Amino acid sequence: MEHLSPIVKFSWGDLDLAAIIMILVTSIVAFVLARLAVRNLSVENPGKLQNFMEWVVEFVSNIIGTATDFKRGRVYLSLGLALILYIFIGNMLGLPFNFITEAHGHATFLGMDLYMNGQEEAEFAWWKSPTADASMTMALALTVIVLSHIQGFRHNRKHYLKHYFEPWPFFLPINLIETVAKPLTLGLRLFGNIYAGEVMISVILGMGWVGIPALLVWQGFSIFVGAIQAFVFTMLTMVYIGQASIHEEGH
Amino acid sequence: MGNLFNWTNFLIQIIAFGILYLLLSKFAFKPLFGIMEKRRQMVKEQIDSAEKGRADAERYLEEQKQALQQARKEAHDIIEQARMTGSKQADDIVLAARNEANRLKEEALRDIESEKNKAIASLKAQVSGLSVLIASKIIEKQIDEKTQSELVDQYLQEVGTKS
Repeated sequence: MEHLSPIVKFSWGDLDLAAIIMILVTSIVAFVLARLAVRNLSVENPGKLQNFMEWVVEFVSNIIGTATDFKRGRVYLSLGLALILYIFIGNMLGLPFNFITEAHGHATFLGMDLYMNGQEEAEFAWWKSPTADASMTMALALTVIVLSHIQGFRHNRKHYLKHYFEPWPFFLPINLIETVAKPLTLGLRLFGNIYAGEVMISVILGMGWVGIPALLVWQGFSIFVGAIQAFVFTMLTMVYIGQASIHEEGH
Repeated sequence: MGNLFNWTNFLIQIIAFGILYLLLSKFAFKPLFGIMEKRRQMVKEQIDSAEKGRADAERYLEEQKQALQQARKEAHDIIEQARMTGSKQADDIVLAARNEANRLKEEALRDIESEKNKAIASLKAQVSGLSVLIASKIIEKQIDEKTQSELVDQYLQEVGTKS
């Protein structure tokens, strides 16, 4: 049976409780992890978690250094860190387990009616990666793309405006398509990878006991995919911001 | 699309990520960056001070080398000078001794000469006195040839014992 999202219908739209819960859980985990890492900050004798966090900082610094010029891309270090932490933790959270409730005829959560798609029997999935939802990945993608456009317009106006007409003015439509395609590919790539991973997990779960080795293998692979996708998202964010807002000398 | 794209999720995610970003920046990344910057500073300072210490050590070594060189040269000079003064003094002493000896020798020679002259002079005086005495005795006594020779022998003997 297909798992439904626990959605509450309001006049102004649908409220996806699972998404909200997962956004909260991911954010809290990310924040708590970061806070624990900086709890006992030390210059000379950093703790394990601090070391790890500093490694992440170096890692993101390298990403920025590869994508653009680190000196000028430095202001985006916090953004890159927040992105890679949030996406990686989000990707990982959906892997280990799921939390499903069954409902017969009627279901409520804190007094709110859950939308049951007109069915009598429904199963609600409360636990998933926040990044396995296109609306959430698109939110992240649009945020960074809009940011890149704003920063490009603010700091690099001449080149930012000119790049729509390059190499020749009649390339404008192609450049506009590229502008639209960037956030779409950025968001949907992440969504597709993680969503596919979770679909695959539920398919393997459907196989029963036989599927356990396959499940182990696939979860291991999903960890890999989740890490790669977090890296790719952050990398592309920095590339886009760099393209738009940091004009390299001598080109 | 309704199933795939949820505007509420979209908006909530944007807001949530914004808040997460702000919180992380303020409470986690800022102190972390501060610490990392501090460490960078510390490493830089330590490298600088090590570099400075090395330069100092090199400078001191150079100074010491020069001082040693100087001391060696001075010692050499002093020894050389001492040797020179020593040999000069020895020469002086030898020269002075030689002069002194010469002087003494000459003095002695002079003394000998004068004594000899004195002796000769006094001998001459005595001889002349004796010859006068002999002559007067001969004249006084009127003696024969035999006694005369005895007499001469006697006086010559006297002269021999007296001289």
